[in-house]
Amino acid sequence: MNSASPPDLLTRSGSGLLNWLHGWRAVFRFAGVAIVESLTPRTYNSATRSVVLKQIYFTAWQILPRFTLFAALLSYVLIQIVVDTARNFGLADYALEATIRLLVLEILPLMTALFVALRSGAATGTEVVLMNIHNEIQAIEAAGVDPNRFEFIPRVIGGAISVLALTAVTSSIALLIAYVVVYGPQYWNLPDFARVVAHIFDLPTLTILWAKVLAFGLAVTVIPITEALAAPKKLFFAPIAVLRGMVRLFFVLMLIEVLSLALKYI
Amino acid sequence: MERAPVRAPLIKNLEFKVGLLLALMLILAVIFIGYTLYARGVFERTQKLTLIADNADGVSIGMAIGFSGFPIGQVKRMALTDQGKVRIEMAIPLKDARWLRDNSVFTLEKPMVGAAKIKAFSTDLKSPPLADNAERPLYTGDAAQEIPELIVKVRDVLSNLQDLTDQQSSLSQTMVNLRTVSDRMAGRYGVVGGILGDDQNARKVIEAIDRANTLLASLNGVSLKVDTVLTKTDQRLHGQGGIMDETQKAVVQINAILTDARESLKKADAILKNTQDISSDIKGATTDIASLRAQVDDSLAKINGMIDAINRKWPFSHKAEVKLP
Repeated sequence: MNSASPPDLLTRSGSGLLNWLHGWRAVFRFAGVAIVESLTPRTYNSATRSVVLKQIYFTAWQILPRFTLFAALLSYVLIQIVVDTARNFGLADYALEATIRLLVLEILPLMTALFVALRSGAATGTEVVLMNIHNEIQAIEAAGVDPNRFEFIPRVIGGAISVLALTAVTSSIALLIAYVVVYGPQYWNLPDFARVVAHIFDLPTLTILWAKVLAFGLAVTVIPITEALAAPKKLFFAPIAVLRGMVRLFFVLMLIEVLSLALKYI
Repeated sequence: MERAPVRAPLIKNLEFKVGLLLALMLILAVIFIGYTLYARGVFERTQKLTLIADNADGVSIGMAIGFSGFPIGQVKRMALTDQGKVRIEMAIPLKDARWLRDNSVFTLEKPMVGAAKIKAFSTDLKSPPLADNAERPLYTGDAAQEIPELIVKVRDVLSNLQDLTDQQSSLSQTMVNLRTVSDRMAGRYGVVGGILGDDQNARKVIEAIDRANTLLASLNGVSLKVDTVLTKTDQRLHGQGGIMDETQKAVVQINAILTDARESLKKADAILKNTQDISSDIKGATTDIASLRAQVDDSLAKINGMIDAINRKWPFSHKAEVKLP
């Protein structure tokens, strides 16, 4: 850095910024295309459906038991901590609301997205990088098949559905655990529970929650794929492309989370 | 991880498994949305209650109204009236509306920590139920609002306390006096000395008490004697062979004698009746006396005989008389 002259530094930082912006543009463009394509009925034929099914199978079905167990354990511990603390401060009335807000609205969707990103996002990114380097994508294109429609969009759809499904399962279990921890294993307090649920999940909150989980689901596949496609076709760029994709994905997930919080509480 | 479809390993029941997962997700989503709608009271019929408050600080939409610590409804809308008061519209589910009565009172409580609470109090659950669209005042009990007032009062109390504890204050003078009294109480004549303020007086009182004690002892002897006399009297009156006992025996004997006398009188009565019958017969026989004169003599003889017989039968010493015409 010391040897670099000021104009050189400016040029480099300028090109860096441009690259960064290009990267983001590519991400948003691909996300837009993916949303449009996933809403188009003609996207769904037997070939794409097979990819979607496999993506869901590998992303959600394979990890469902272990992930659910882990989420249940984490939920139980967190709920116990929050409820105990609230009771100690004489705020037991707010314990249930606090736990549901904490788990169902924030932690579980974010944790699911991070887990899927680590497991499937990284794998998808690596796969696409390798396909790109081995010119498989050009081969597909040469065969007259749109790689976006037949290879990438189905993966995005599968990833998004997987995140939605895992979040739904873990959140339901967390609600159940929260009820049992707060009220004990009996059903007399169901009206009380319903009141708290009603208080938390109004229409804006539900909308934000769904939008957030959907954005998580899109991000976990869209960003690694975009980064992988943007990488130069050299094998030693493959780890860099995957790394970049994962870092960007992490920031995007956090950004979505912060945005949802800001929308809800500001 | 997954490769291009052609190279992927064959997965058993892939479609079924993924379908199951999707179905599970959809079912959970539908149940959750349904439950949220139910929880928000979409399927529940409610009645409206409007509370009028001076200040809606701490009241928010969706806030619950509590009755005996249980939520029975929630705030639906809030607005300012033309008079500058706050209209708080609440929805009370019909099944919970029975807890609200015509004379229920509603309060808004703002604790130091935690959110404000709207509470309903129904003292008389037998009074008529609260009507739909009812309008009631909301009384505010604000703990924080009273703090400045409280501090002023506490300051007054503290200054009073300071006056009281001053060296020259009447309280400390009283304390000094109290100490003198308690010293005396600890002296020879104890509490009495403390009260009377002087040993002389105290001794007199104690002597008086002693005398009273002696008097009580002799009174005790008297009462013992009286007791003995009473016991003896009781023995004479009610004991074995006592007056009461003898009297009872005599009464029994008199009773027996009276019974005998009654039996005798009954017998006499029967005999008198027989006599009456006989005399009436005689009367019938004498009506035709002229014609039967002859027979009379004859009869007389018989009558005489009969009288003799009567006389023999008659237990008492007066004579039987049969009058003839």
